[in-house]
Amino acid sequence: MQILAQLIVSGIAVGMIYGVIAFGYQLTFATSKTLNFGQGEALMLGSLVGLTVVAYTGYWLMLPVVLAFGLLQGAVVERLGVRQAIKTKSEAGWIMATIALGIIFKNLAENIWGRDALKFPSPLPEAPLSFMGVNVLPMEVAIVFGALALMLAVEFFNRRSIYGKAVVATANDRDAAGLMGINTSLVITFSYALSSMTAAFAGVLVAPVTLTGASMGGVLGLKAFAVAIIGGLSSGMGVIVGGLILGITETLFGYYFSTGYKDVPGLVLLLLVLSVKPSGLFGAAAIKKV
Amino acid sequence: MMRNIFAAVTVGVLLASTAMAQPIKVGLTGPFTGGSASMGVSMRDGVKLAVAEINKAGGIMGRPIALVERDDEARNELGVQIAQELINKEQVVATLGFINTGVALASQRFYQEAEIPVLNNVATGTAISSQFKSPNYIFRTSANDLIQSAMIADEAVKRQGFKAPAILADSTNYGQLGREDLERALAKSGVKPVAEEKFNIGDTDMTAQLLRAKQAGADVILTYAIGPELAQIANGMAKLGWKVPMIGSWTLSMATFIDNAGANGEGAMMPQTFIQTGDTAKRKVFIESYQAAYKVDRIPSPVSAAQGYDSVFLLKAAIEQAKSTDGGKIRAALENLQTKVDGVVTVYDHPYSATDHEAISGNIPVFGVVKGGRVVVAHQEDIAGDKAVRIKPKN
Repeated sequence: MQILAQLIVSGIAVGMIYGVIAFGYQLTFATSKTLNFGQGEALMLGSLVGLTVVAYTGYWLMLPVVLAFGLLQGAVVERLGVRQAIKTKSEAGWIMATIALGIIFKNLAENIWGRDALKFPSPLPEAPLSFMGVNVLPMEVAIVFGALALMLAVEFFNRRSIYGKAVVATANDRDAAGLMGINTSLVITFSYALSSMTAAFAGVLVAPVTLTGASMGGVLGLKAFAVAIIGGLSSGMGVIVGGLILGITETLFGYYFSTGYKDVPGLVLLLLVLSVKPSGLFGAAAIKKV
Repeated sequence: MMRNIFAAVTVGVLLASTAMAQPIKVGLTGPFTGGSASMGVSMRDGVKLAVAEINKAGGIMGRPIALVERDDEARNELGVQIAQELINKEQVVATLGFINTGVALASQRFYQEAEIPVLNNVATGTAISSQFKSPNYIFRTSANDLIQSAMIADEAVKRQGFKAPAILADSTNYGQLGREDLERALAKSGVKPVAEEKFNIGDTDMTAQLLRAKQAGADVILTYAIGPELAQIANGMAKLGWKVPMIGSWTLSMATFIDNAGANGEGAMMPQTFIQTGDTAKRKVFIESYQAAYKVDRIPSPVSAAQGYDSVFLLKAAIEQAKSTDGGKIRAALENLQTKVDGVVTVYDHPYSATDHEAISGNIPVFGVVKGGRVVVAHQEDIAGDKAVRIKPKN
């Protein structure tokens, strides 16, 4: 029982890491029906910039710098990679462009920070907390609550502020929003900025546990993509649940069956979801008018 | 007029110097960027240190060594390209290097076909030195995985008396081939691992693997993996509040393990051909000149630096004995080396033969242990007195 609880707790911590990254995919998909395939790299850049800044400012003062950097980086990705594709209604241009930008960012990071895994100083004590025999790192608790807080803040912004309403309006119907005087291309730029900001925040949040380094975006970005598919690209709630499902099945399957096949149930789940409910567990079915 | 005279003199001097001492071109390849860069860079710097010493003392047969460095980024396909470039375009006399077993296995074929000797100074895969039949152009100056796995099994079972080892290995060729070697070595002592767990490069959570080992009653963890994931194992044990010793392959000495595991990595043990302690005068000089030349205190990977350094002197001895830079003659000289080469790892006394291309035998490495963020000698008695320099037994 204690073991099961330990596995679930660890699974939740891993799942929230996936979820908060997947949340970034969902943000841009909602407004522009495009994704930033360099999301993992946005996470990595945020975390490495954080690592450089943290030496001067400490953990908490570093956060606003990293958030600002994320906003800027996302806007750059949109301007360079996505805008032209949307303008010309290209179906695949943005895919190649965001992947290419991701590779460029990775090479850039390798040249600046090297390619070794680096330790990210933990703002919280590194000794585990113990609840009835279940151990959890303080930083893992911080990841769960930090990720939830970030997602709530973004949701709150979208629902309550006038700017957020423009985002929601664009998400619902870009053409109609445009006719109502909303600058939809600016909204899309903004959603990319917001998406990279969440990724950069996720980067500094998870780095004390996962280590950081130029290659950290690869595996995490891919897992998060699977989570976004499982949970549904149009639902913020979906990516949290999708993340938890993937994280918990990975650790449970690893323990009860074999650690050699730890990644298999997640992929099987992905295929199942795609064949039964292609829009994801929480996704609204997309109707494409032709 | 003046300018013309200067030009003529310069050209004349250049011509004279090339005629006197045309450099001996030697290839140097390894990952100088990337996950295994700490090993590649240390190896490279060790090699360069040796080359600088040799050139300062007049080179080989009066000819200086010119290194042609190439970064293989630990990528097999890049390694193949580099091999072809070094052989065909640069026309090197021999090549030193290889950190990654995969890159070595993919690239060595070209040297073998071109009959150019390779001194493999870091990669440990058992197959590396036996990839080709005699005449084999591939030589090694590192402790292969058979030696390491046998040492790990002996240390854990015989010396420390552990009865229930768990093996944790990554899913790469390195990890899985090492795991097989470890299983066989344990079987020789009549011990079967209680758990064998696997993980991928980039995995960040080791809870499932560690809990399985713990539930199986493991009293020691034997590892075959690389720095970052090894650090996650050590950190994962601390998180679960379960602490058993870690003993594993030499990669537990990687800076990415020691730095990322911090206090959790203290006490981890691994076979080492060279430890940065300076227990002999020669080793002390080597460490000090490395520190001075590269402005570091802790050599990123002392094993790679030392093995790289020694590989140059082995090559030098072979060229001098062959009195030629012909590949076949250098190979023949290496296989029957008459001069003793006094290296920092060991004294090489007939290190190779036609059938044995391993300079390091099982008696040479000692166990290192992580202490205070550095690798130090685990058992002082191993290097006491005349045991500091351990020499390969005669065939």
